[in-house]
Amino acid sequence: MFAEFKHTLRRLRGQLLGWGIGLALYSLMMTSFYDSIAGMEGIYELLKGYPQDLMAFFGDSMFAIGTPDGYLDLYFFGYMAIFIGVLAAGMGSALLVGDEEKGILDLVLAYPVSRSALFWGRFMGFVSTLALILFASWFSWLVAPSSLGLSGVELLRPFLPLLAVLLFFGSLALLLSMLLPSARSAGTFCGGLLIANYLLIGLSNMNENLEALIEFTPLYYYQGGDAVFDLNWVWLGGLLGAAIIFTLLAWWRFQRRDIRVGGEGGWRLAALSLPFRRQRTKSG
Amino acid sequence: MKDNVVLWARGLTKSYGKIQALRGIDLEVRRGEMFGFLGPNGAGKTTAIRCMLDLIRPQGGTLRVLGFDPQADPVAVRARVGYLPGELHMDDNYKVKDQLRYYKDLRSNHIDWDFVQQLARRLNLDLAMPIKNLSKGNKQKVGIVQALMSRPELLLMDEPTSGLDPLMQHEVYRLLREAQAEGSTVFFSSHIISEVEILAERVAIIRQGLIVEEADPHRLVEMSLRRIRVRFSEAIDPTPLAEIEGITLLSNNKGTSVHLQVEGEMDSLIKALGAYRVRDIKIDRPSLEDIFLTYYKDEDKEEETN
Repeated sequence: MFAEFKHTLRRLRGQLLGWGIGLALYSLMMTSFYDSIAGMEGIYELLKGYPQDLMAFFGDSMFAIGTPDGYLDLYFFGYMAIFIGVLAAGMGSALLVGDEEKGILDLVLAYPVSRSALFWGRFMGFVSTLALILFASWFSWLVAPSSLGLSGVELLRPFLPLLAVLLFFGSLALLLSMLLPSARSAGTFCGGLLIANYLLIGLSNMNENLEALIEFTPLYYYQGGDAVFDLNWVWLGGLLGAAIIFTLLAWWRFQRRDIRVGGEGGWRLAALSLPFRRQRTKSG
Repeated sequence: MKDNVVLWARGLTKSYGKIQALRGIDLEVRRGEMFGFLGPNGAGKTTAIRCMLDLIRPQGGTLRVLGFDPQADPVAVRARVGYLPGELHMDDNYKVKDQLRYYKDLRSNHIDWDFVQQLARRLNLDLAMPIKNLSKGNKQKVGIVQALMSRPELLLMDEPTSGLDPLMQHEVYRLLREAQAEGSTVFFSSHIISEVEILAERVAIIRQGLIVEEADPHRLVEMSLRRIRVRFSEAIDPTPLAEIEGITLLSNNKGTSVHLQVEGEMDSLIKALGAYRVRDIKIDRPSLEDIFLTYYKDEDKEEETN
C-alpha cells in the first residue's frame, strides 16, 4: 500500500506544486489586501449601490467584508470549493479508472498487490495531495502580515469543511468512475453537479422556493468562512460521512470489477449501447 | 491436480455480454516446461491469461495457478508470476529506471537490481530514457525486463516478441530458455507459428475460446496431413492407392506421377507402393503453420455452413 501511496503522490506532484504554490501566493496577496479593503471608507455605500439581484446571489457575506471571517469567505472560501472541487472531481475520477483506460492498471495489478492495497494506497495519496494543497494556503494566510488577527486554529477551522467538501466530490467522482462508462464522463458529471449546486445556492438567495431544495445538496452544509468562529461539527461530519460512504462503495465496486483493456468489451454501459446496436443493424 | 502441474484449468468460461471469449477451456501446464498458446487475434489467449492473474473473473470453471485459486488468493499467485501483457502501457512521465523501481517497490524490493541492469544490457535498453521517448520495440523490452526481473516461478508472456527486431527476438528466446533452465515455467501466447515451433515443448491451439489441440509441436506435425509426390517408372492405375484408408488422391499425371495426401501413419501406403516400380518419392512435411491453418480452415467452413 505504501508503494502505491508514494507513487500516487509522485504522480500528483504537478497538481500539488501548481495548485499549492498558486493558492499560497493568492492567499499571501489577499492577506496583505485585507487592511486596505477593510479600512476603505464608503465601501458599504458602494456595495449598496450594486444591483440587488447580484447582492442577493452572493448572500450576506459581501456586507461582512470588513470582518476576518467575512473577508475570508468572500475572497477565498466562498468559491474555493468550486475551484479546487473541480480539480478534486477530476483527480477522483481518474484515480483508478484513468489508469485502467490507459491500460496501465493491467500490469500494475499483475504485481503482488491486492486490489484493496492499490485502492487505499491511491486514495490516501489523493487525500494527502488535497490536504497538502490546503496546508500551503493555510500557512500563507497564517504567516502573511495583516490585521486579520486570527490564530492558527481559528484559521484552520474553515479549511476543515473545505477539505470535507473536496473529499465529498472527489469520492463521488471516484464512485461514479466505477459506474459510468469512462473516467471523463464521471469527472464531467461530478464537476457539473458541483457547479450546478453552487449556482442553485446563489439562486436560492433570490428565490425562496428553492430553499427547501438546497437542503438536499452538499454545498448547503459547507460553511465557508463562517466556520472561523463557529464550526458546525455535525455538518462537517455529515460531509465526511458521505465521502466515506462513497469511498467504501467505490472500493467495493473496484473489488468486483473486471480490469478492462481495449478490445475486451465492457467500455459502455450495456443499457446505453443496446439501442445503438439495434439502430446499426436496422440501417445495415 | 498433480503436484507438478503449475497451471490447471477445467471448463473455464468468460463472456463479455453476448460475446463468449472462453467457452470451456481445459488446460494443464507442467512445472518447468515451455508451453506455447497459439491462436489468432480474438481467439481468447489474452482473456485466458488475464483470468490467471485475477485481472478479470471467469464466469465458470475451475482455475489453479501454482496450486492457488487466483480469485481467492491473487496476491500469492502474483508474487510468484512474472507477466508481460499483450498490450503494454506504462506511465509516460517516468524514466525506464523509475518505472522499474516502482515495479520493484510493488514486489517489496525483492529484486536484484544488478540483474535488472544485466537484462537491460542484453536487450540494449537504456534505463535513463523517458518512457514517452521509447519506440514500441523498446517499450516491449521494458516489459520483458520487468517480467523476468523477479526470477518468477511462472512466466506468463502474452506475445513476448511483439514489436522486436529479429536479433532481439532471438535474445528474448535465449532469456526465456535461461529462465526455464533456472526452474521457471514459461507459458507464452503467440500468433507467430515459427516462434512457437522454435520455443515450445508443448503447444495448445485455441480457436473461438476453446482448446482444439494440445500436443508436442513435433508430434502435432507427425499426426497431421502430409503430401506425397510419387513418380513411377511406368504408368500405373492409382485407384488401389486411393482406396487405402487415410489416403486421398490429389492429382494423377497419366499414371506416371501421383500426388497424394496422407492422414496419419504412412505404413499402409509404403507397403502398397512396394507393388510398383517407384522412381522417386518426395514427402512434404507440413509446418506447424499448415496444421494451424487446417484448424482455421475448418472454422471458416463451419462459419460458411452456418
